[in-house]
Amino acid sequence: MDGVAQLQKQLVDFTDSLFQEGFLDEQFNQLQQLQDESNPDFVVEVVSLFFEDSERLLNELAKALEQKTIDFRKVDAHVHQFKGSSSSIGAQRVQKVCIAFRNYCEEQNIEGCLKCLQQVKLEYSLVKNKLETLFKIEKQLIAAGGSIPT
Amino acid sequence: MAPTIESVYLGNGGLSEGNNKRSNRFVKATWKNNLTALVVDNVELCRVLERENLRAYGVETVAVETGEAAVELVASGSTFNLIFIDIYLPTMSGPEAVRQIRAMGVRSKIIGLTAIITEKDEQDFFAAGIDEFYEKPLDPDWFVPIIREVDNQI
Repeated sequence: MDGVAQLQKQLVDFTDSLFQEGFLDEQFNQLQQLQDESNPDFVVEVVSLFFEDSERLLNELAKALEQKTIDFRKVDAHVHQFKGSSSSIGAQRVQKVCIAFRNYCEEQNIEGCLKCLQQVKLEYSLVKNKLETLFKIEKQLIAAGGSIPT
Repeated sequence: MAPTIESVYLGNGGLSEGNNKRSNRFVKATWKNNLTALVVDNVELCRVLERENLRAYGVETVAVETGEAAVELVASGSTFNLIFIDIYLPTMSGPEAVRQIRAMGVRSKIIGLTAIITEKDEQDFFAAGIDEFYEKPLDPDWFVPIIREVDNQI
């Protein structure tokens, strides 16, 4: 198998695994479909926005949950936003934790919230890693003269 | 009155605004009418995706970050067939913006958006005057039929 074909296979296999392992869902496909010649870097740009937003939200959440008196409405607002952005790009596992997180907020359950914060941090770093790897393989493929299979 | 969309400067940074519509060869649907939409969402990521999804389906779309900007745009005479508006906006809330827009006599189809649907939010938003309420993100499965309905009613 030549270099380009090998990279293409690697890309397809890796992408498939992300869906199978639940890191990404259908929304990510929708996102990819918005990319075309008029918007060639759309996916990378949107995912970069997601990384920026997420890091900010995780900081805010950590701060809010460190307070002596926790303002659960504030925590809830951040989690709500995180759920919105993660579901928008198809980051399924992150989104799922956000739903559980929100329930704990409603119950004003500090233990539950702290647990969810740890979980969402972990899921976020996992999906970030996966997406960065995905983009790296795409870059290699393009550099080798190939094109991304649609 | 013709929409003044092209003449409105939005300056919401982030991904390039470009034109408000995509050139025809990239569009996934065409409609009988020239359809226009307004997106109101404070979260850049969501706003960009909502805007691009609508443009991909042939709807000339403008996006703003706040309820105030939406109200101002409508008050200045811009008309839209569809308005997609998030419930949580920083200063003027989604419901308040919708109330003010409806008070101006606007009969556009207004779709309320939220990250997580709750009963209370649903009640508040419908009371303010939205026509439909959906969880984000925009999915062609539900928004394309809405566009079709609006297109057929013109």
